[in-house]
Amino acid sequence: MRLPLLVIRNQSRMTDLATIAPVQADSATARGPLLELRGICKTFPGVRALDNVSFPIWAGEIHMLCGENGAGKSSLMKVLCGAYVADEGELYNHGEKIEIKSTLDARQFGIAVIFQEFSLVPYLSVAQNIYLGREFPGKIPGTIDRQKIRSEAQRVLGMIGSDIDIDAPVHTLGVAQQQIVEIAKALSQNARILVMDEPTSALSDTETEHLFGMMRRLKAAGVAIVYISHRMAEVFLLGDRITILRDGKMVATVLPNETTPSDLVQKMVGRKVDAIHRRGDNIKPGAVALDVKGLTGPSGISDINLNVRAGEIVGLCGLVGSGRTEVARAIFGADRITAGEVTFFGKRFSGGPDEATRMGVALIPESRKSQGLALIRSVGDNIVVSSLDKLFPSHIFHPGKAAKVAQAMIKKLRIATPSPRRAVQVLSGGNQQKVVIGKWLAAEAKLFIFDEPTRGIDVGAKAEIFALMYDLVENGAAILMISSELSEIVNVCDRAYVMREGIIAGELSRERLNEENILQLGMHHE
Amino acid sequence: MSQVEAVAPKFKLTLSRDVTDVAYRLLAVAIICVVLSIASDAFLTANNLLNVLRQASLVFFMASGLTLVILTGKIDLSIGATVGLSACVAATVIKSTGSPWLGAGAAIGIGAIVGLGNGLMVTKLRIPSFIATYGMLWVVQGATYYYMSGQSVYGFPAGFRALGSGYLLGIPIPVYLMVAFLIIGYFFTKRTTWGQQIYATGANTVAARLSGIPVNSRLNLVFILSGAMAGLASLIYLARLNSAEGDIGETLTLPTIAAVVIGGTSLFGGVGSLFGTFIGGLILTLILNGMNLVNMNANWQPLVTGVIVLLAVWLDMKTRSKTDG
Amino acid sequence: MAQGMATLGRVPGVAFVLVALFAIFAAMSPGFSTAPNLSNILVQSSILLLLALPMTFIIMTEGLDLSIGAVLTLGSVVLASVAVSTGSLTIAFIAAVAIGLAFGLLNGWLIAWIDIPPFVTTLGTLGIAQGLCLVITDGTSIVGMPPSLHFFYSGTVLGIPFPLILAAVAYAVMHGILYHTRFGTYVPALGGNREALRHAGINDRRVLAIVYGIGGLMAGIGALLLTSRISSAHPTAAIGMEFDAIAAVAVGGTQFERGEGWLLGTLLGVVTIGVLRNGLNLLAMPSSIQVICVGLLVIVALFFDGVRKAHDS
Repeated sequence: MRLPLLVIRNQSRMTDLATIAPVQADSATARGPLLELRGICKTFPGVRALDNVSFPIWAGEIHMLCGENGAGKSSLMKVLCGAYVADEGELYNHGEKIEIKSTLDARQFGIAVIFQEFSLVPYLSVAQNIYLGREFPGKIPGTIDRQKIRSEAQRVLGMIGSDIDIDAPVHTLGVAQQQIVEIAKALSQNARILVMDEPTSALSDTETEHLFGMMRRLKAAGVAIVYISHRMAEVFLLGDRITILRDGKMVATVLPNETTPSDLVQKMVGRKVDAIHRRGDNIKPGAVALDVKGLTGPSGISDINLNVRAGEIVGLCGLVGSGRTEVARAIFGADRITAGEVTFFGKRFSGGPDEATRMGVALIPESRKSQGLALIRSVGDNIVVSSLDKLFPSHIFHPGKAAKVAQAMIKKLRIATPSPRRAVQVLSGGNQQKVVIGKWLAAEAKLFIFDEPTRGIDVGAKAEIFALMYDLVENGAAILMISSELSEIVNVCDRAYVMREGIIAGELSRERLNEENILQLGMHHE
Repeated sequence: MSQVEAVAPKFKLTLSRDVTDVAYRLLAVAIICVVLSIASDAFLTANNLLNVLRQASLVFFMASGLTLVILTGKIDLSIGATVGLSACVAATVIKSTGSPWLGAGAAIGIGAIVGLGNGLMVTKLRIPSFIATYGMLWVVQGATYYYMSGQSVYGFPAGFRALGSGYLLGIPIPVYLMVAFLIIGYFFTKRTTWGQQIYATGANTVAARLSGIPVNSRLNLVFILSGAMAGLASLIYLARLNSAEGDIGETLTLPTIAAVVIGGTSLFGGVGSLFGTFIGGLILTLILNGMNLVNMNANWQPLVTGVIVLLAVWLDMKTRSKTDG
Repeated sequence: MAQGMATLGRVPGVAFVLVALFAIFAAMSPGFSTAPNLSNILVQSSILLLLALPMTFIIMTEGLDLSIGAVLTLGSVVLASVAVSTGSLTIAFIAAVAIGLAFGLLNGWLIAWIDIPPFVTTLGTLGIAQGLCLVITDGTSIVGMPPSLHFFYSGTVLGIPFPLILAAVAYAVMHGILYHTRFGTYVPALGGNREALRHAGINDRRVLAIVYGIGGLMAGIGALLLTSRISSAHPTAAIGMEFDAIAAVAVGGTQFERGEGWLLGTLLGVVTIGVLRNGLNLLAMPSSIQVICVGLLVIVALFFDGVRKAHDS
């Protein structure tokens, strides 16, 4: 259903800025922006992913998109590429309204997206992947021209200066090479607008240099590039303009020479800082609850050393892909390890998640829907799932007792559900997260590993979850918390470890724990 | 307002899906009974109804273990073949030793071993269950043929035959057994922690593992139970037929799966019940019985069973996508 | 070329088994390595190849077709009954192909659009096809085929048995489809990364349905060879042949996950199964032993896959 467009554009300073044509004026400028977003809204159950986002994209500009995780960048990207259809809002090309209702529409208009999660087929070759869905017809009707696909793929890869073997099946490539194939795929579409989501996160210096050079050439040729990045250096090096998103809303569009990195961070973080009640200073760490020594595993982490004491909240941060989640999973016994040891409460641990659970350890995973909850089961069933052996040592299950435990947890955590028998999938994100936490409270866990506990939940629920965490540590629990939102780490944690490329890059004590220091340690060679 | 947390869940007064599912199926049973009693005078006779129950009990035994496997989101295609091998081995053991108990032990033991093999292929080697159990189907089938080498074994002690064809207080003995296993099964699935863990594993295997459930040992358990129940079913089958041949289990897999899916157990795991499977088996048996009563050729049975399976899954998928949407 | 290397790297597995079996049977049975017997193995394998080729496609999509043996049988039954009633082999053949295609597309529709898991879908259609066979034939054989039917299994063209020619053409066509058409490019993508196909704007459901359609079509064509071979149609003639087809694909190195598949491997797999069955036959082993051996061969192949997967992750 399409609602009438209520707000077309805010009459604010930022809008004025946003309508300034980029420096690289060309003939197209006169006709207006290549693509203009007006009042784009997208709502998912429980969360407003995009809220009235409006900004223009001009031909021949590199438009930086900044924001914390969950600010709405990925949703915006998916609207641009036609994977999502906006609930409200319109798109204009040179002042004329256009519709993007499918990926095909987006492609025909000339929008190509490089996703972070790859859209490559493992057992097809590099060349076949680059031209997937756009194979050149061969001489015999119905066939494809494999030679032309190969030579064109070679040409496109040459443009980026890559020497990847075009005949190699993609599954034999490393992550960085797969990223290059993604970029080549997008480039081969002769896109007018290229959307890139942190394309350099897995690239080496040389590859990054090649990519930047190529972007400049594309820009000169009039291609618009929408570039999502967490790296300040890139933002200021490449950006012609910078649009900042926060909580699904557009905060501002600014020019790089009129802003500073700290100003930008301020805009990205915004008033959220106030939403987090900073933890008091009277921390009395107790016995060591978690001790990790030399943990190394095939998931790409090596020589991880860290510890968490009872009564402490310890942060684990670093860029996306730096190995934080892998560390959490390895500690919990969910992934294989090749070296190192994990000790819980002074006892050596070597088992699977079931053993970790028995030892009083809890993992609140990154993706609650796919890893934390059985969505089709009830709130009550989900709450007692980890404590079945504890509640019913004789293995005889009493639904009444389980319901009582669930009811108590619903009350304690103020989970908004009409009944414990309600399927968990109808709850909002924040309440779902509370169910996951309730599961571990019922299991009487003493060490909690939170992986992005506030992802995709609203400000109010976030505050509640932090209050809960404070309550836990005050009662002697230990917490290891992974978060991409630096403000959370800084405000909530007593100290933090920063990861970079699978290793611990450093530890920050409470005194040195601030966003600059985290970024300093977490950035690649910058 | 920044976040729309309040996409309020609709507070509709609805019965839980379990209840409505069973209600619909009982309604289907009633409708089929009405139709059949109109179509054939022979339907509403005590003899025929008891016969239907006896047949349904046989289907139930085979399908009950499979229900557990499907509840975890896996499948066991080797059920029919396992029934065949267990029946043949039990038959020769009873023949040579004269002891039904040894035969029963052999049947259930063989079933459990086959189940363990299936479980290990799925949990240790991470072979998808549909292909692991399909390979097992042929190995077991081949072993049965080899073991019997074209012979048939028949003529068992009366005490053993009573298991399949005897009556107690006018009701077939297998029906008592079925009721007993329905109660045990209900207790196991709904009133033990293992049952809860089986449902949780099927609803989301990854989440179950990360919630501390020993997923692999639960999967091994359901495959072993599935095999053991196939072994038990083979005994009743054997007692009823009073003879065993190599091809005894060949055509049993499809009706067994049919009973489970008609009973409302989701092929994607986590949803369903043993009581549903009992009703599913009853519906299937009633339909096949009705075809028999109106003198339809038995050759139509696999065709009708196939159509029913597909219709049942289709209906299930349709209602599911409605409630999910 | 890396792709060439990767596929070459797979050759030893199945080829080794084939050579070993060949050596064993040649040593144990004097009749084995004679020209007529070897030719016989190839001719016997040609029907299996017709099923195993599309089965390779299907398994590459992370699917399975349990109905293909029953559909082949149904095709044969339809072919025979139409031939008897009309006297025209052409019409009979068209009818067989049509019924095969219809079943394949039914499978495809149920799997691609209704989202019913492949093993249940095809188990259901297996029941339907088998039931139709019984209903049409009333459980007996259909005899009285036109004499010209004999040619398709036993005849030769330029000294080459006709089934071999048909099998070679089928292999060439399927090879061409898999490696030289758009459609073929999308087949491994269905198993490997269906999302990528949607991103590329391809109707993945249609591709998937056509894959199963090809399976039915090939079973319909195979019905010609099967009927010609036994000069009649029997309602259980090819029941269970789907297992040999799946076995040949698995032994040939196609994976049941992620869309890795290899058509030449399937060809070798088919010959391996053919050699195994023929050799055991010559050694007077009952068919039960043959079934067990094929089953064990599959489990061993899957075992090595599983070990490799466990090693990879």
